[in-house]
Amino acid sequence: MIEIRWDWIGEHLDDVADKTWQHLQLLVIPMLAGFLIALLLGVLALRRPGTVGPVTAITGLLYTIPSLAAFAVLRPIFGLSLATAIIPLTAYTLLILYVNTVAGLRSVPAEVNEAATAMGYSSASRFWRVQLPLAVPLIMAGVRVAAVTTIGLVTVASIIGGDRFGGLGQFITEGLQTSFDTKVYLGAVGSVMLAFIVDILLLGTQRLLTPWARARALST
Amino acid sequence: MSGLEALLAYLTDGGAWQGSAGVPSRLVEHLVLCALAVLTASLVALPLGFYIGHTGRFQVLGLNLANIGRAIPSYAVMVMVFPVALAAAAPIGYDPRLGLTFLPIFVAMTLLAIPPILVATFAGIAEVDRDVVESSRGMGLTERQILRRVELPLGLPVIIGGFRVATLQVIATATLGAVLSGGGFGRFIIDGLARRDEGMLYAGVVLVAALAIGTDLLLAGLQRRFTPRGVRVASGEEVVEAIGDLGSVAPPSLRRA
Amino acid sequence: MRHHRRLALGASLLATLATLGAAGGAIVSAQEQPTVRVGSDDFYESKLMAEIYAQALEGAGYTVDRQLGLGSRDTRAPAFEEGQVDLVPEYVGSGLGYYVLASDDPGLAALAVGGDGETNRANLQAAYMLLGIEATVLGMTPGEDTNAAAIRADTAAELGLSKLSDVPAVADQLVFGLPPECETRPLCAGALEQYGIDFATIQKEALAACGAEIADALAGGAVDFGWLCSTQPAIAQNGFVVLEDDLDTQPAENLAPVVRDDFLAQLEGGAATLAAILDPVSAAITTEVLTELGVRVAIDQEDIEDVAADFLAGLAG
Repeated sequence: MIEIRWDWIGEHLDDVADKTWQHLQLLVIPMLAGFLIALLLGVLALRRPGTVGPVTAITGLLYTIPSLAAFAVLRPIFGLSLATAIIPLTAYTLLILYVNTVAGLRSVPAEVNEAATAMGYSSASRFWRVQLPLAVPLIMAGVRVAAVTTIGLVTVASIIGGDRFGGLGQFITEGLQTSFDTKVYLGAVGSVMLAFIVDILLLGTQRLLTPWARARALST
Repeated sequence: MSGLEALLAYLTDGGAWQGSAGVPSRLVEHLVLCALAVLTASLVALPLGFYIGHTGRFQVLGLNLANIGRAIPSYAVMVMVFPVALAAAAPIGYDPRLGLTFLPIFVAMTLLAIPPILVATFAGIAEVDRDVVESSRGMGLTERQILRRVELPLGLPVIIGGFRVATLQVIATATLGAVLSGGGFGRFIIDGLARRDEGMLYAGVVLVAALAIGTDLLLAGLQRRFTPRGVRVASGEEVVEAIGDLGSVAPPSLRRA
Repeated sequence: MRHHRRLALGASLLATLATLGAAGGAIVSAQEQPTVRVGSDDFYESKLMAEIYAQALEGAGYTVDRQLGLGSRDTRAPAFEEGQVDLVPEYVGSGLGYYVLASDDPGLAALAVGGDGETNRANLQAAYMLLGIEATVLGMTPGEDTNAAAIRADTAAELGLSKLSDVPAVADQLVFGLPPECETRPLCAGALEQYGIDFATIQKEALAACGAEIADALAGGAVDFGWLCSTQPAIAQNGFVVLEDDLDTQPAENLAPVVRDDFLAQLEGGAATLAAILDPVSAAITTEVLTELGVRVAIDQEDIEDVAADFLAGLAG
C-alpha cells in the first residue's frame, strides 16, 4: 500500500541535508529571538509584577493565531524570504518561554535573594549570578517544549513557502502534490527525528547547566 | 480596502452566517472535531496519568512519551494518515469522505492533545502532599479510593490546566484540516487564501482566536471552581512548576510549601 | 627598423587593448545580465514549465532566482502583478478568464475567451494593457492542458455518463471535488452552472485542482467528480473517464511565459531578446510532450530539475 523508495532517498541525501539545515535555521533563529524577548519580559515581570497578566494574555493571544494564517498573511509583505516564517515562529515561542521564565525566576526562594543582597551582590549581578542560574531548570523545560513545537510549526510553513522554505516539511508538501509516499514519509519521519535529537541535546544541556539538581536527586 | 475593513465587511455580510459554509456551521464542525480529539486523548492520557501519578512509577517514561508526542508535527501526521484513511474506507466500511476530511486531522489532533493532558495529570496527582496520602492510607482507604477521593480532587486544578493547554493547541491547530478539504474555521483561512479574499482570511483568524480564548476562559473558570478551598488557585505557573519539577532530572520534590 | 618595432609595439598594444576591451566588455555585459525571478503555481506542471524556462534562461547566461510553488493563480497572479516575480508560465485560457470573465468593465468583458489559443493569447495581452499590468506575453506552446472533469470508470458505467451534459440529472448523487476558488471562477463554477449543475446545492469537497490530493480522493471514493488537468498522469493511471465538454465551456489552454515589462526594460533588445530564447522552447512543447513529462514527474517521481534538463538537452541535440 505504501512503498518507500530507499534508493530515491539515497540519491537525494544532499537535498535532505539542505532541508535539514534550513529546518535548523528556522528553529534556532526564532528560539534565540524568542528567548531574548522572554528574558527581557521576565526581568520586567520581576520589577513590575503587574505586567505578568497582560503579557501572558498577549503572548497567549499570539499563540492562538493559526500558524497557517500567520505565514499566509506575512507572505505578501516579506515575500518568500525567511522573515515570513521567522516572525510567526518567534511569536509562537513567546508564550511558553515567558511563562516558564517567570515561573523560573519566581521559583528562587526569597531567602536566597535576600542572602545574595546581604552578601553584597548588586541587583544586576544577583540576577545574572543567582536568580537566572536557579531559574534554569524551569526555563530549560520551556525551551525544550518551545523547540519541539517550533520544529513542528516549521513543517506548516512549507504549505505557503513554495519551494523556498519549510525545512523538511517541504518534502511533505511536495510529496503530497505528486502523491509520492517516500517524500512524505521522509519529511514526516525526518521532522520527528530532528525533534528527538534536539530534545535530547537540550536535555543534556539542562543537566550540564544544573549539576546541583543531580546532586539533589542522588541525595533524595 | 484595508484588512480591517475587509474583515468587517465579511463578518457583517448576512451570507457569511448562513448555510453549510457559514460561521455557525463551521463553528460546529470545529467544536466537534476539537471536542472529540480532546476526549479521545483523555481516554488514553487520563488512565495513564492516574497510574503514573499515583504509583510514582514510570515517570521518566511518561515524560519521554509525552516529549515524543510533542515532537510529532501535526501536519506530518495528517498527511500520513490521509492515504491510509482513504484506503481503509472500503474494507472497514465507512464513508470515504470521512477518510478525507475528518480522520486525518482527527488523528493528528488527538496525538497533539495527549502529551499536555498526560503530563498535567500525573504531575497533578504526584504533587499531592504525600502526608495526606499516607494518612488516608492509614485511615484504611484503598488505593483506588485514595486516588478518587483524595488525589484527584486535590490534583484537579493542575489536571484542568493540562486540558486548557491541550484545548488551546487543538483549537488553533485544527485549522490544518482545511488543507485536506476538512471543515471548521480553517476553511475560512484556506478558502480566503485560495480566493484571495482578505476578509474571509482574517475572519478565520479572528474566529479561531475568539473560540480559543473563550474556551480557555471557560476552563479557567472551571479550574477555579474545582480548586479546593484553602489551596491556592492553580495558575498557569503552577502547572508549569509542577511539570518543571518533574522535568528536572531528579524525582519530584513532593512537598508544596 | 624602428618603424617595425614601433609598428610591432603598436600592434601588440592594440591587440592587448582589444583583448582587454573584449574581456572587459564581456565582464561588463555579464554583470549587466539582470537576475530573473521565476515563479510558478503549486501543481507539478506549472513548476515543470517554470523550471524549463528557468534552465533555458540559465543556458543563455542569466541568473535565475526560483520562487516556485506560490499557490493557486489567486495567490500567484498578485505576486506577479506586484513585482515579487518577473516571469511565470501562464495558461492563456484560464489566465484570460481570470481577468475578464468576472469583470464589469465592458472593455475587458469584450475580450472573448474561446477555443482558439492564439486569440486567447492576444486577448490576454490586451487584458494586461487594459488593467494597467505592465507585462508581455511571449510565444506560446502548441500543447495544451485543459481542465478535465474526471470521474471513475465505475461511476461512468453505473450512471451512464460520458459528457458533462449528462451530469445535472444525477448531480445530487455525486460528491464534487472542486478547488476552493471554484466559486469565484467563471470557468469553474460558471461552467458548471452553464450545464445546469447548481453549484450552491451540490455536495462538494474543496481540493486544489490538478493535484495528487484530488486524484487520490477521486480514486479512493471520497469524491465522485474531480476537477483535474487533462495531462495529469493520474487519469490514465486510475482509468478515470474524462467527461466531454460538449458545451465548449473550457477555453484553449496553451502555455506561454508572461514577463514583467520592468524586467524587460533592463535587457538590451527587451522582449525580443527573451523571446529569442524562450519561443523556440515553447514551440517544442506539444500536448504529448506535456503528458510524457508529466508521467516522468508525477508517476516516476523524477526530479523536476532533471526532467527539465533532459527536455532542453533533447532540443539542443
